[in-house]
Amino acid sequence: MTRTSYLLYKSLRYVISFFVITTITFLIPRLMPGDPFISILGKEVYFHSPDVVRELKSTYGLDRPLPDQYFAFIFNLFHGNLGYSFHYSVPVADILLYKLMWTLVLLLPSVILGAVFGIILGGICGWKSGSKTDKCLTSGTLFIYSMPHYWLAMLMVIIFGYYLNLFPLGGITEGGYSGVEKIVDVLWHMCLPVGILTLFSTTFNFLIIRNSVIQFSHEDFVLCARAFGLSEWQILWRHVMRNAILPLITVIALDFGFMVSGALLVEIIFSWGGMGTLMYDAILVRDYPLLYGIFLLIGLCVIFANFIADILYMVLDPRIKPYSYNE
Amino acid sequence: MNVIKCVLKLKNSFFMSNKNSLLLFLGIGILSIFIFCGIFAPFLTPYDPYELYIPYLSPCPAHLLGTNDIGQDIFTELLFSARISLCIGFFAAFISVFIGSFVGLISGYFRGLTDEVLMGMTDIMLIIPALPLMIILTASTRPGLWNIIIVIGLLWWTSTARVVRSRVMQLREMPFIEAAKLLGPSDFYIVFRHILPNTYQVIYPKFVLSVAGAMLTESALSFLGLGDPIHKSWGMMLNYAFSRGGFINNYWWWYLPPGLCISLVVLGFLLIGFGLEEKKEHFFEQII
Repeated sequence: MTRTSYLLYKSLRYVISFFVITTITFLIPRLMPGDPFISILGKEVYFHSPDVVRELKSTYGLDRPLPDQYFAFIFNLFHGNLGYSFHYSVPVADILLYKLMWTLVLLLPSVILGAVFGIILGGICGWKSGSKTDKCLTSGTLFIYSMPHYWLAMLMVIIFGYYLNLFPLGGITEGGYSGVEKIVDVLWHMCLPVGILTLFSTTFNFLIIRNSVIQFSHEDFVLCARAFGLSEWQILWRHVMRNAILPLITVIALDFGFMVSGALLVEIIFSWGGMGTLMYDAILVRDYPLLYGIFLLIGLCVIFANFIADILYMVLDPRIKPYSYNE
Repeated sequence: MNVIKCVLKLKNSFFMSNKNSLLLFLGIGILSIFIFCGIFAPFLTPYDPYELYIPYLSPCPAHLLGTNDIGQDIFTELLFSARISLCIGFFAAFISVFIGSFVGLISGYFRGLTDEVLMGMTDIMLIIPALPLMIILTASTRPGLWNIIIVIGLLWWTSTARVVRSRVMQLREMPFIEAAKLLGPSDFYIVFRHILPNTYQVIYPKFVLSVAGAMLTESALSFLGLGDPIHKSWGMMLNYAFSRGGFINNYWWWYLPPGLCISLVVLGFLLIGFGLEEKKEHFFEQII
């Protein structure tokens, strides 16, 4: 399989995923029992003046057949029209893009830091698997895995924010600052949430790297490198790690969705004004257009991340195996 | 049969008493304590989980873990919530492992186009972010115990499908399957009679890990306020503690115990999964 066909093959998956995601957001509100107009207009109006309801339905295009509605929906989507939020009384797309930025501010540093820590710790533990450091860190990983993310975030807030008073309890900025001061203030507020998200992504990356280092440490090239008289350290970081890092790229992209979910929950604890708090509020008031918009946006981001990962993978590893799950 | 095998294995590992079986028994120990608490909840506490007493009591001999904002005894809530949390975990994991094994068996055995389609589906399910999808599904339906169980079960099967599939792909090339094929039974007979029993060793650890995953997911959904308000789970308790001021006022007896229970039970399941897994390195691949 050539590179182009590999990329096309992968892209097909992403296109299908995209349509599955849009179809879900299209179908769910239409499949659910009940009529959204009951809650919008109230029962009085809904049952006593059917003309108003009919008129409203035709203005929103809800009286047209489903396929028509679907095409209109897709058309709107490509024009950046995700609907209108009941709760905030603004178009969904407007709020989402602003809030997405703040979520990414949390997410990107933690994904990068998590990868770095994961590679370093996973490399050390995988290379000397069975050692004391390995056992400690691996069991520590299991402990962290078994805690709900948001609960650990709560504990961190209580310990570092409340008792030790090292970091702010929540929010993005105290307000009233500008320029460099504001950036410093935001960075200070970021410390705890980014720390927790980094902790979680480190645990995942740690396990992946550890596993693949263990796998590669039995390969012939390691023996060969030893025969050359290279130091253990050189073999690990120069030769084994180059191979071991590859699976991480795909997994980071796949885990991006997982990380986003984690970030959403952690954001709520820190009342960080990103997608998480937005979603929490949207759930509380059942602001469906906003909820579906959030889901669509996260889905798109994850697809995009996966696509980038595929390209990266192709550039970094020319020996691509298109059916990677076939092994 | 398989239950007997499992029991025998437990017995063997007990008598071998190496470090791994120690972990396995630690896991089973933790779990049985919580199951015991869940089953005998009414006998372990004099209170009713929904009855109201004096609100905002800190822990005292009468109320071991104090009371919440409307005066419900938190220790009692904790015991009764164990039922709901464990039930959701078990049932959701059962659904997901059932679907996952089925998909894995079919696509691993038939290969070809079936495999392409089913694995393509699995890939797509993996790409779609699960928690946000669960959130919109549970938010769109009426909050209820079964809704959560079904939603988690329907979206959590992908990893099981992959693990079972790779196991089936190994099995189908083995001589005993070829021999079975010579006798001329239908494909489904071979799959369910000969291949399925040989995949149990990957399905059991996966089931245990799925329960852990399902419980964590349930707690996240409940924390977001999507849980069943009639049946309180540990996640719901955390939700109330967070949204009704237990966290802000630092009433540790309110927000600490439910999270601790979730962590302990999940850890118990992980330890059991680790103990059941024969290749230890395989285990870490699976929880990723």
